[in-house]
Amino acid sequence: MAPPAQSQRSPSPSQPSGKSEVSDLKLQLRQLAGSRAPGVDDSKRELFKKVISYMTIGIDVSSLFGEMVMCSATSDIVLKKMCYLYVGNYAKVNPDLALLTINFLQRDCRDEDPMIRGLALRSLCSLRVANLVEYLVGPLGSGLKDSNSYVRMVAVMGVLKLYHISASTCIDADFPSILKHLMLHDSDTQVVANCLSALQEIWSAEASTSEEASREREALISKPVIYYLLNRIKEFSEWAQCLVLELVTKYVPSDSSEIFDIMNLLEDRLQHANGAVVLATIRVFLQLTLSMTDVHQQVYERIKAPLLTLVSSGSPEQSYAVLSHLHLLVMRAPYVFSSDYKHFYCQYNEPSYVKRLKLEMLTAVANESNTYEIVTELCEYAANVDIPIARESIRAVGKIALQQYDVNAIVDRLLQFLEMEKDYVTAEALVLVKDLLRKYPQWSHDCIAVVGNISSKNVQEPKAKAALIWMLGEYSQDMQDAPYVLESLVENWDEEHSAEVRLHLLTAVMKCFFKRPPETQSALGAALAAGIADFHQDVHDRALFYYRILRYNVSVAERVVNPPKQAVSVFADTQSSEIKDRIFDEFNSLSVLYQKPSYMFTDKEHRVPLEFADELGNLSIGEAANNVVPTQMVEENDKDLLLTTSEKEETKGSRNNGSAYTVPYDGSSTSVFASQAQIESAVSNPTLAGHSPQASFAIDDLLGLGIPATPAVPSPPQLKLNTKAALDPSTFQQKWRQLPVALSQEISVNPQGVAALTAPQALLRHMQSHSIHCIASGGQSPNFKFFFFAQKFEESSNYLVECVINTSSAKAQVKIKADDQNTSQDFSTLFESAFSKFGTS
Amino acid sequence: MPVAASAIYFLNLRGDVLINRLYRDDVGGNMVDAFRMHIMQTKELGTCPVRQIGGCSFFYMRISNVYIVIVVSSNANVACAFKFVVEAVALFKSYFGGAFDEDAIRNNFVLIYELLDEIMDFGYPQNLSPEILKLYITQEGVRSPFSSKPSDKPVPNATLQVTGAVGWRREGLVYKKNEVFLDIVESVNLLMSSKGSVLRCDVTGKILMKCFLSGMPDLKLGLNDKIGLEKESQLKSRPPKSGKTIELDDVTFHQCVNLTRFNSEKTVSFVPPDGEFELMKYRITEGVNLPFRVLPTIKELGRTRMEVNVKVKSVFGAKMFALGVVIKIPVPKQTAKTSFQVTSGRAKYQAAIDCLVWKIRKFPGQTEPTLSAEVELISTMAEKKSWTRPPIQMEFQVPMFTASGLRVRFLKVWEKSGYNTVEWVRYITKAGSYEIRC
Repeated sequence: MAPPAQSQRSPSPSQPSGKSEVSDLKLQLRQLAGSRAPGVDDSKRELFKKVISYMTIGIDVSSLFGEMVMCSATSDIVLKKMCYLYVGNYAKVNPDLALLTINFLQRDCRDEDPMIRGLALRSLCSLRVANLVEYLVGPLGSGLKDSNSYVRMVAVMGVLKLYHISASTCIDADFPSILKHLMLHDSDTQVVANCLSALQEIWSAEASTSEEASREREALISKPVIYYLLNRIKEFSEWAQCLVLELVTKYVPSDSSEIFDIMNLLEDRLQHANGAVVLATIRVFLQLTLSMTDVHQQVYERIKAPLLTLVSSGSPEQSYAVLSHLHLLVMRAPYVFSSDYKHFYCQYNEPSYVKRLKLEMLTAVANESNTYEIVTELCEYAANVDIPIARESIRAVGKIALQQYDVNAIVDRLLQFLEMEKDYVTAEALVLVKDLLRKYPQWSHDCIAVVGNISSKNVQEPKAKAALIWMLGEYSQDMQDAPYVLESLVENWDEEHSAEVRLHLLTAVMKCFFKRPPETQSALGAALAAGIADFHQDVHDRALFYYRILRYNVSVAERVVNPPKQAVSVFADTQSSEIKDRIFDEFNSLSVLYQKPSYMFTDKEHRVPLEFADELGNLSIGEAANNVVPTQMVEENDKDLLLTTSEKEETKGSRNNGSAYTVPYDGSSTSVFASQAQIESAVSNPTLAGHSPQASFAIDDLLGLGIPATPAVPSPPQLKLNTKAALDPSTFQQKWRQLPVALSQEISVNPQGVAALTAPQALLRHMQSHSIHCIASGGQSPNFKFFFFAQKFEESSNYLVECVINTSSAKAQVKIKADDQNTSQDFSTLFESAFSKFGTS
Repeated sequence: MPVAASAIYFLNLRGDVLINRLYRDDVGGNMVDAFRMHIMQTKELGTCPVRQIGGCSFFYMRISNVYIVIVVSSNANVACAFKFVVEAVALFKSYFGGAFDEDAIRNNFVLIYELLDEIMDFGYPQNLSPEILKLYITQEGVRSPFSSKPSDKPVPNATLQVTGAVGWRREGLVYKKNEVFLDIVESVNLLMSSKGSVLRCDVTGKILMKCFLSGMPDLKLGLNDKIGLEKESQLKSRPPKSGKTIELDDVTFHQCVNLTRFNSEKTVSFVPPDGEFELMKYRITEGVNLPFRVLPTIKELGRTRMEVNVKVKSVFGAKMFALGVVIKIPVPKQTAKTSFQVTSGRAKYQAAIDCLVWKIRKFPGQTEPTLSAEVELISTMAEKKSWTRPPIQMEFQVPMFTASGLRVRFLKVWEKSGYNTVEWVRYITKAGSYEIRC
């Protein structure tokens, strides 16, 4: 039954502490315990009610255990139930006293009334006291054979409870095979359904250790079992139907005729009143037809109507659950739903979580024929009182603009937004106009005319301000007063709090300078001076870099800072298709609502410290990217402006998550980084856009992402490492797979090192100062794992290192792989010397 | 695993636990504290009904002044969980007769504990059918269906075993007067643009049934829906009768309806449960008859004055009338003074919702009352932001009218004893979300 007493705490101060009441109750119960007076049951009832209500509000009444058990000798079922409830709640913390109850529970298990037998058996199995399990086996065994289905139903669940208390007792008593027999032969469908739940749980848990169990688990989704259940599906309760349908999704039919048979059999389930059954059926249909493209399309058409009905009926919560699934399907196949866009119009009073999903769907289903109406509708929402939704809808308009070829009307709309004179509307619209211009430079003329009228003083949000500044720099030749606007912005340098804006200001002033040198020169000077004096490292570095490159050669500087650009054709997707597929595989579960696969949020992954796997993807790349390789950080800042809004949020999110071990998420975000970097390089410097590590590094640098100067490493002369080495994770992963292990050794970690290694970051920073960069790291004390890389100075020869450190044994296992095998020994020496200094400097 | 709920909590608005039931050990006991801390006491409340805290996910729903929270630790089936909550609440309501709120829970907590015990075991939903549960859990106390008065009523589980599929109806029911009540309840959802064009419009309808029939009757319901009529005329090889036919976008049925027969013959045939239940639900998007047209003109005259004119036209038959018509016309927050003229009903300004509320108790068909109001605003220097006009919202009920045009053509009752039945049919159309932008 219910759980330990300590769980019953309630912090609410308004509730009585209940001490005196409890002792009062104790007294009264004791008086009644032995009494056989008429009407004693009624007064017992009142007392029991009080006890239970105290228990509910969180007062600890476990001290009454003895009295409650004494009073339990009664024939009144309500009293019995209350007593069972109480016992179930407190047995776990009073195992000794729980023993007292065994007797009367066992007796009740043999009662002639099946109701009492069932209740007693349920309570007996709910005691959750490990050393009492021996008393469970007998009653459970006879319960499973009971002539009454109520008792059998309870007994089946009892077996599952027993399994969770003591798996071995359950297996030794051979209960699973009894359950299997019951599942296939019992006449009562609820018994069958409970057997199914229990067996699925038991065999899934056992499968990792026992081959037989995993065979049995496979047998559950074998043809005979599936067909047996499917043929009886109409007899099952709605909840049990969900269970069966869930099982059917795992079944792999042998051929297409079987698939059609199953679908025909289940088609009427789509009309079931219970939305959960409908969703489960939809999942079966989608899974079965995955490999049959055209039928899969028809399935989409078929399930559309039931889904739309479900969305429009029921409470907001229910419709949200369904809407999330619809959202998933719309994202997978927007064209199927493009004529149903009106269903995604938001109602004024809908909760914002529903509106948000609807906005995304409206964006996705927009096509040539409905764009006008959708955009008109979205523009209505821009005036919404709910500001986040208003922002979201403006972004949606922008996204549609980026999807469509015919953007004429949309551009007008966006420009109207700019004139709406609402801070947040202007801010969002500015960001969008900027993205739009990156994709459709041909619109610059219309946009610039309007953007030019916006006073930078009215724009406060950093992103919007950065976007405005970017446009000022980019189109300074077309904007009459661009140099003067920039100049006034530079004058207020100290009041600008966002480093992002200051970075953009630097670049914009540079760009403006190349186009209109005489008017900008003084602003540029002021900007560089202010930038070099800036306390923010990145701003400082960028200013210094600009200064030096200008001194070196102005035309080179122009080529670097303001090269001719190509329009961005596609903005990178934020979620990898692999992740999307995994979510789709987990249709009809939480994954769809959270929009991430279950392994990212289920309990185990979260709490168990990261297990080391050889796959790079399992390590927290994001973290490494954040804390170790500053180029990435800076780059991100710069990229922020260039990304569309949602992408920004996405990358931000992953950055924040970096420290928690939400591992594969990071993996995916890195790939976003990588692709972004490439896009950017394509945009900003097509002439240099090579994809080898060095080349992309070169671009990073030329973009002004100066790297903090690190003192030269005192390294052995024979091998010099590139201090600014760059390698993207996928290349690393690929190389790691291809190259043989050149060297493998064990290094001991000095005590200072052990002490300093409280978190992976400490070592990363240290190694970086020795030009050995980390690409991924993970783990918790005492086990840490790192992947490092280094590059030979002025050569594209890479060294890859896997380093597993155990701080309790103060040992590190190091594996080195190298492009150039001959120098791996030198590198190893270098690595070791750098490593040994960890914690000492 | 469809649900495997680890715990269920009933909390009042302050966050006090009214009832809690922990089904599994896999979540800690302090889950309710986590819910209070991270959801109830933050702005998160109301932002999303599914939330993850730590390794657990919380599904919560507010029903009147009670929060019902389900805690799970696995990748659970959300739709199923919410449906379970809704069904459970319906079950509780059927026990306490009507209201489900904090007081009802406090007064019936023992009963709720008993029910929670039966409807879910170890996190898996069990039997939620009130018909069956009421046989052995009653408000007066528990009566065992197995032992007491053996001759009185058959054992429900035995019924299940004997009759197989008819788990929702027990045998041996006797009524002096055999009656069936059908209620067709439709709600119209409308979204109209300020220019008067319909942006979105649909009808969700349900057929509610109240059965007081003896024995094990077989019922057959005929509607004027297109597919059903076509199928019928095919079967009888007769040309379809003229008259309006309705195209149903989607239909769902109560579990008692034989879906196989619906799919093959397009007839709704069923053995009904005893008492009240929802027979079917449907959705229609084509050919909706809107009962009301609203024609607003709102003029902002300078900064401090507004003129509001609203005309509402009833477009249903002149002999019919709508009840409880409420029209909410939004006005800016800084409204200072209002004056009205209405040709029908009563209007007043409600500052709490920033609306002019115009109520017309009885609204005959084919009429068009008007409201004209003058609104004076406090001039504020600070707020120069233009007023974003929320939509006009409308509530109404129109008896004997269906926005979809759906009609019951016949309801046949067949029972082996061959008794006569009386059938009653009512129609009503209500406003769902009826919004007119202005």
